[in-house]
Amino acid sequence: MNIKKLGKLALPYLVWMLVLVGIPLVMIFILSFMNTDGVSFVGATWTTAAWEKMFSFADPTNLKILGDTFLYALIATVICFLIGYPMAYIVARSPFSNKFVILILTIIPMWSNSLLRNVALKNILSETNILDNLLSRIGLSFSIAFANQDQATFISIIIGLVLTYLPFMILPIYTVIEKIDESLLEASMDLGANRVRTFAKVTFPLSMKGVTTGIIMVFLPCFSGFAIQKLLSSGTVYVLGSLIEANFIHDINFVSMLSIVILILIFGSMMIVAKVDKEGATLV
Amino acid sequence: MAKKLIELNDITKMYDGAAVVNHINLYINENEFITLLGPSGCGKTTTLRMIGGFEKPDSGTVVMNGVVVNDVPPYERPINTVFQRYALFPHLNVYDNVAFGLRNQKVPKEEIAERVENALKLVSLPNFALRKVTNLSGGQQQRVAIARAIVNKPKILLLDEPLAALDLKLRQNMQYELKEMQRKLGITFVYVTHDQEEALTMSDTIVVMKDGVIQQIGTPTGIYNEPKNRFVARFIGESNILEGVYVRQNLVSFMGAEFDCVDTQFADGEPVDVVIRPEDLDIIDAAGAKLVGEVSSSIFRGVHFELCVMVQGKEFVIHTYENRKVGDHVGLRVDSYEIHLMKVEHVEH
Repeated sequence: MNIKKLGKLALPYLVWMLVLVGIPLVMIFILSFMNTDGVSFVGATWTTAAWEKMFSFADPTNLKILGDTFLYALIATVICFLIGYPMAYIVARSPFSNKFVILILTIIPMWSNSLLRNVALKNILSETNILDNLLSRIGLSFSIAFANQDQATFISIIIGLVLTYLPFMILPIYTVIEKIDESLLEASMDLGANRVRTFAKVTFPLSMKGVTTGIIMVFLPCFSGFAIQKLLSSGTVYVLGSLIEANFIHDINFVSMLSIVILILIFGSMMIVAKVDKEGATLV
Repeated sequence: MAKKLIELNDITKMYDGAAVVNHINLYINENEFITLLGPSGCGKTTTLRMIGGFEKPDSGTVVMNGVVVNDVPPYERPINTVFQRYALFPHLNVYDNVAFGLRNQKVPKEEIAERVENALKLVSLPNFALRKVTNLSGGQQQRVAIARAIVNKPKILLLDEPLAALDLKLRQNMQYELKEMQRKLGITFVYVTHDQEEALTMSDTIVVMKDGVIQQIGTPTGIYNEPKNRFVARFIGESNILEGVYVRQNLVSFMGAEFDCVDTQFADGEPVDVVIRPEDLDIIDAAGAKLVGEVSSSIFRGVHFELCVMVQGKEFVIHTYENRKVGDHVGLRVDSYEIHLMKVEHVEH
């Protein structure tokens, strides 16, 4: 089948995308520069009030929320990478005959609702938790002591994000490492590179594409979501997502502006990753 | 007397309980072009990988310059390999691929640049340094793989069917170039192939292997003219193999007739296998010939005709410059020094 025919087949999809994604995006963009009463243009006026509310140095509350959102997402992504890469590498290079079984074990928790999992996590991380309750019956105790509430909140959120999104880091990295031709590693050793150098010079560069995918897959939901942060902080931590949730009903213009900010930041980070990955992007 | 560079002493390698390489003994001299030849699954690649350090023998020792190297990893051996599928690094360009080994040895930058340039010149790819390896043709990739190996000036170069993926013309050119390179660089080449013609063209020494066992070691002419058994005779070129009896010194009987021969190492009355190469049979008049038959087919092969002649129900293959028609009655003649006798093996291969 030639490209032109395929192009015609894509037409319904394009229409669908235009109606359900393209036009709404434009609407959101326009709404962010207006003052309207809900999603209605009756009596609407042009204003940059929403943007000023966000990027105001006089009242940096919203800017701080933006910074926090970014920080949580960044730290969670880095930790996911630090845990996920070695795990993916070890599984991919292990002599197990059915490596996928091991991966399934990391995926199975995803089959349960992530909110439920985080509620459970919150319970375990609190002072009187279910583990402690059970263990106390046989004379043991389990409780995690945090220095203060801020630290407890911060660590809980990071743990929640990492536990929820770790599989999204492991899977793409596993896939690329698994595909790396064994003879390349032999060639590297043949040319005098020991195991460590072979990893640094061959395996890691060749797995960059999986790393890029993993980073995007973890960073995006960490940055735009709010449920985990809200749940684990009992509503004390605000991220961009929670701002949207809180203002959704009464300030559609502010919410539209926030969506655009998230979009821009996400596109920005993806472009940075793509730039770093220039060499790797043409691989595999 | 040439210096022994590598010795394989009683090497065995098992996979899943089956011996892939079975008690082989082999030594490789300095500056030698040695070829491991055999059908697929004969253990030749496994033998090569044990020399390279990618596999460990289950028993026996690999000795290099008098030192046992069984446990020395590949990156500490003075050996480089040209892999069957080249195994070029797809994330690096031609220059970085070739410089890979030198950088591992911490060679100064200027020297790397010079040696890489020379290596690329040697394989006739002087202006390819900045090209991506993924955009090269099979032949070019193969040359890069060779450059990447020889730039390190190894004592030994292992080549695992490096020409298998190339087309015929390119393969013949590369055979010649590899031989030239080996002569110029003075590196020991250990070459693995299943192509007998390639082995005969390039090697100083050929090692014929089958089922993990060495069948014969010798020079190309030695192996071609004096095959030790049916397998070697069949594998190296075409041959007519007949059952015969060694009547007495310099006399052998087969196909109901007696022929003079030059082999002497058999007992009187001992059964032998007789090998006659197709080009050693001459077509003569049927009258007075010891072997008489009918031409059953004739194929033009370019330089010669390939005739099949049925003699007493046994088919002979003959290479000749003169064509005969199918159905012709012809006689066959063979000179005494072209009759080669082999010990009969009890196991039919």
